[in-house]
Amino acid sequence: MTSIDVVNLTKEYGQTRAVDGLTFSVLPGRVTGFLGPNGAGKSTTMRLVLGLDRPTSGTATVGGRSYASLDEPLRTVGALLDPGAALGARTARDHLRVLAAAGRLPTSRVDEVLEQTGIASVARRRISTFSLGMRQRLGIAAALLGDPAVLMLDEPSNGLDPEGIIWIRELMREFADDGRAVLVSSHLMSETAAVADHLVVLGKGRLLADTGIQDFLDEWTTPRVRLRTTEGERLRGVLVREGYQPVQADDGRWTVENARVEEIGPIAAREGIPILELAGEGASLEAAYLALTSGEAEFTTTTSPLSQEV
Amino acid sequence: MSTIPLTPMKSHVSLTPSLRSEWWKIVSVRGQWVALAAVFLATLGFSLLMSGTFTAEQLAAPEFDPLRSAYYGLNFGGIGAVSFGAMAAAGEYKSGAIRLSLAAVPHRGVFYTAKLAVIGALALVVGLATSLTCFLIGQALMDEYGVGLGDPGALRSVLGCGIYLALITLFAAGLTMVARSAPAVIGTLIPFLMMMSFVIGDLDDDGGIAEFLPDRAGQQILLQDPTGPLSPWAGLGVLALWTGAALWAGWVALRRRDA
Repeated sequence: MTSIDVVNLTKEYGQTRAVDGLTFSVLPGRVTGFLGPNGAGKSTTMRLVLGLDRPTSGTATVGGRSYASLDEPLRTVGALLDPGAALGARTARDHLRVLAAAGRLPTSRVDEVLEQTGIASVARRRISTFSLGMRQRLGIAAALLGDPAVLMLDEPSNGLDPEGIIWIRELMREFADDGRAVLVSSHLMSETAAVADHLVVLGKGRLLADTGIQDFLDEWTTPRVRLRTTEGERLRGVLVREGYQPVQADDGRWTVENARVEEIGPIAAREGIPILELAGEGASLEAAYLALTSGEAEFTTTTSPLSQEV
Repeated sequence: MSTIPLTPMKSHVSLTPSLRSEWWKIVSVRGQWVALAAVFLATLGFSLLMSGTFTAEQLAAPEFDPLRSAYYGLNFGGIGAVSFGAMAAAGEYKSGAIRLSLAAVPHRGVFYTAKLAVIGALALVVGLATSLTCFLIGQALMDEYGVGLGDPGALRSVLGCGIYLALITLFAAGLTMVARSAPAVIGTLIPFLMMMSFVIGDLDDDGGIAEFLPDRAGQQILLQDPTGPLSPWAGLGVLALWTGAALWAGWVALRRRDA
């Protein structure tokens, strides 16, 4: 059981703080979604975990050790950072053989991951002839090479076709169910919502949220109920007395903000008001994310940041 | 600058997997083989062209040096050596491949040592094959003016020529680790090696600073009766110092910089 632990991590490039006092853990057995706008520090954090960049202060460890001190780095962490990171003059198979040799992995693993990622048929072609989707699959193949305990993927669905997106989602699910740790960054909210159990959200290098996905949705979205009834005015009176603010739309349907069907249904039943339709509106990760990051935008434009709560 | 607690260094990080990986990096890219082949072919081709076309007067002249003459094409082979060293090192910096390399071999000292060992060993083997071939065929073409491997300085020149090519290759590789670009290093180093010592040498012909430039110093090893301030091996040593400085600069860059 190996986790990634980031503690007080800070990285400055000249005057810019790309990562600012970050603390979070990526635990085994679940998929952790890594969210944040471009430039929020997600990729930098991943590079710091791999020891590629040196932190200004703080630590990033894998299984309690710095990446550089791991005995078998490729068997510990499989990472996809940049699908372009391969010399175009090499064939896909040679590219993986170079990595396998460095990681003391048998050549049989090269052929296995080529099959697994669906690029075995183009394995002997030069990488320079690859499409973005094929490069992405090759990058994922490299990450899978060591059958690692931790999987760290930066935007893995980039360039993949819909089939490939489902495949990578299932792959991450399998890893997590197998008790491994998975950290996946994405700018696609629906993608992240479909696979993540836990979320780490960054904004301007700082931690905005580190929470389960359901808790995140509960905190940052307001539930809403839509209903249709034959006795609109009576229902309105009842709901207003209960502290709700029902609003009727042009089509006759009612919307109740900040309410759940579990609350509205029993009230209508108690009052004997006929309900023709009653539906709770699921909170979307996108709405929750935007609510959180718009708070962050406000935060960053105030002159005295400490005086304002997010 | 980093506050990461230093994890105790493992007493023996194995070099073998990295050597194997670096070997695959070179054999899997055709351009690098072409550059290595060019070292052999360019040196041999231009050397034989010269050895085979000396006139009787040139051969009989008292200042005629049968050793140096056998390696006439060395500067052309040097272009191949610079290209090979620069390409082999710059492969890491094309499209960020070094991140994958360092994720596989996070110990940068092991990574760098293995890379230089493979580049240097290949260059040395090709260099020695080149020099021995040039010598044997070249001397045969010079008829009775040619010398044998047992003659004074002959073996020294063969070994030295091979080592010279390996050192030039590593010189380029070290600079490339600093510049992170093969064209930049090839474009700077080739004019520097090919022309600099001629230009400075012309201005300053009595054994001054030009004698200590990498190519001029290194080629002392080829001369039958070397003149100037540097003996054959001292000259090669000066080239080795240049190479060492470039490799050290490459190491500092690799160790300090973010990948």
